[in-house]
Amino acid sequence: MGNSITTAGYTFVVEESKEISGEDLGLLQEKLLQLNWGVQHPASGPMRLKVWVDGDEVVKVDPDIGYVLRLLEKLVEYRTWQNAIVNVERACFIDNFGTMTGYSIAAEKIAGVEVPKKADYVRTILCEGGRIVSHLIGLGSFVGVMGVHTPMQWALIAREKFLDAFEVYSGQRIATASIVPGGVRYEPTGKFIEKMVSAVDFLEKEFIPRYGEVFIDNPTLKVRSEGIGVVPKEKAVELGLAGPALRASGIPSDIRKDYPYAAYGELDFKVVTKEEGDCYARYLVIWEELIESAKIIRQAIEGFPEGEWRTKFPLKVPPGEAYVNVEWARGCFGFHLISDGGTGPYRLKMRAPSFANLWAMPELMKNIKLADVPVIFASLYMCHGDIDR
Amino acid sequence: MEAWIKAIFFPGFVFLLVVFLMIFYLERKILADVHLRTGPYYVGKWGILQTTADVFKLLQKEFIIQRRANKLLFSLIPFVAFLMVAALIAFIPFSEHSYIVSTSFDLLVVLALVTGMPPVFFYAGWASKSKYPFIGGLRVVNQMISGEIPLWLSALAAAVFYGTLNHLQIVQESSILGFIILLPAFLIFVTATLIVTDRPPFDIPEAEQEIVYGFLTEYGGFNYAILVLSKLIELFALYSIAVVLFLGGFKGPVLPGILWFFIKLAGLYLFTFVVRASTPRIRMDQLLRFCWKVLTPLALLNLAFIILVKMFIS
Repeated sequence: MGNSITTAGYTFVVEESKEISGEDLGLLQEKLLQLNWGVQHPASGPMRLKVWVDGDEVVKVDPDIGYVLRLLEKLVEYRTWQNAIVNVERACFIDNFGTMTGYSIAAEKIAGVEVPKKADYVRTILCEGGRIVSHLIGLGSFVGVMGVHTPMQWALIAREKFLDAFEVYSGQRIATASIVPGGVRYEPTGKFIEKMVSAVDFLEKEFIPRYGEVFIDNPTLKVRSEGIGVVPKEKAVELGLAGPALRASGIPSDIRKDYPYAAYGELDFKVVTKEEGDCYARYLVIWEELIESAKIIRQAIEGFPEGEWRTKFPLKVPPGEAYVNVEWARGCFGFHLISDGGTGPYRLKMRAPSFANLWAMPELMKNIKLADVPVIFASLYMCHGDIDR
Repeated sequence: MEAWIKAIFFPGFVFLLVVFLMIFYLERKILADVHLRTGPYYVGKWGILQTTADVFKLLQKEFIIQRRANKLLFSLIPFVAFLMVAALIAFIPFSEHSYIVSTSFDLLVVLALVTGMPPVFFYAGWASKSKYPFIGGLRVVNQMISGEIPLWLSALAAAVFYGTLNHLQIVQESSILGFIILLPAFLIFVTATLIVTDRPPFDIPEAEQEIVYGFLTEYGGFNYAILVLSKLIELFALYSIAVVLFLGGFKGPVLPGILWFFIKLAGLYLFTFVVRASTPRIRMDQLLRFCWKVLTPLALLNLAFIILVKMFIS
């Protein structure tokens, strides 16, 4: 027992403690009780947290992952450059556009292909659509772990509108396979733009006022999530948090701003940060990014250029390698792509933000109550598909 | 009508079952409305028979008892719980004539029976011999005991004000003035009811995301149905007591008494459902702090206030 993950310069060791034994469940004789918070649990998803509790106090938390391992990185090696996106997008089905964009940019870098401007804009629109879809589910599930299912239902209604737009664009609602090396796969028709605008309209005019009135500044929600799972600024960097969790600790790290890709360099948006670093701050970061993303989509649609939406991508790509970061909905997603001159990738390594957040979680879950475990878990905004890949 | 006919039909078992299927249906329908979805729709007109179908589904299910569970206690507890809460209904006057028994200690008996519930639910968790139910059982004891003190104190405020423990007499003596004076006691009583019956936002003993389903986790089929039913009846009984004590029971103009009783009850239920749809669950330590540092002192102060008022009125 005891997991140790050694990363460059930082050794992360969860301290050893003795295994619980005893026939009678160790309930009354032993002080500690090991709970399996997971695999078969209403709020865990396909992973397990071993939670040692002393009464209501959590002594130690130990994540156990690997239940949705699909070997996506290995599968990519058997695909061509174009159809590898099918595996890449399955890193997490909720926001698949971010991962496809990252892979495509990496492939284009190696091949030396310049993407038309229109493709960049379509990618931006789709990526932000994916971010909104993902953030909606993030908001819903964060309040959902406290026993209120209303936000999730409202969020799903708003999400449907975006899925409709994706369907008009690519024929698929979730696994769209629409961004390929060399541009985007389908022509962005007027109907798609129309659908996207109506989805954003619904989000801004109906969902955001309705949701903001009830579930932002909700006193009970604040009582539950303020001051829980606090990560100070330095600690957040040390732990390697990613995405909204990192920005909630006051670090304005956003790949879209720091190293612009697609059309983000030409658009005006702000990086949402919060200083508190607790669960509520992480929730608010997701909420404000949602509003920001809607604005980005509007800008991108206004400045939509004319021209081609896809260029020819060579069948064989010259040897080389590229590392590309994209700001995915749940954080910075890194792609290390290597070509050996063949018709498909030689090796792809995906650096997933949720995995980084997961291994920071036991640090956050010190000196908390059992009831805080799901709150912190949900506030870190992880996707199980992306943890295991 | 004979009392035993009443006990079987009108304010008795058959009536209870119908009312619960209806309340459960309404809860789902109203929650669905807040969620902006349709809710039960296919079974019967407007999905009105959906809950009946659900109950019959539960009745068909196999009895599953864990090998390590305490078999006798495990299978006995649901019926004990049901008996205890069903006894509550006997003391509630739904209208001038529809009550099963009326004694001079109505309120006392009801409160005593409610106070007897924590051990029953604790044993339900303990007899399962499983981790999550056990934690749920501990939580239910913790929570109900801290909720019952304000419940008693606020209910006794009404008893002190009207000078009787008999429900019928309380209803007959109730007035608008009484309602206004007892308003703080009413609010405390309703909050304490939510705590005692572990309704959201105080559904800590069965917090799904933390401890799966609390002490109900290992129950299935008929046993589960009975346990859930008894929890629902407990809420129904306590709300009925609230209507009797603070809202004037079956009194009201034009419409018949029983209808007034249910209109008042429906108001309370609507409040519960809306709270459920919008308020996140609070934590155990926060609840205990709230109960012992806010609710209990307030209830005590309120009792003192009622005694003061009583001194001047009489």
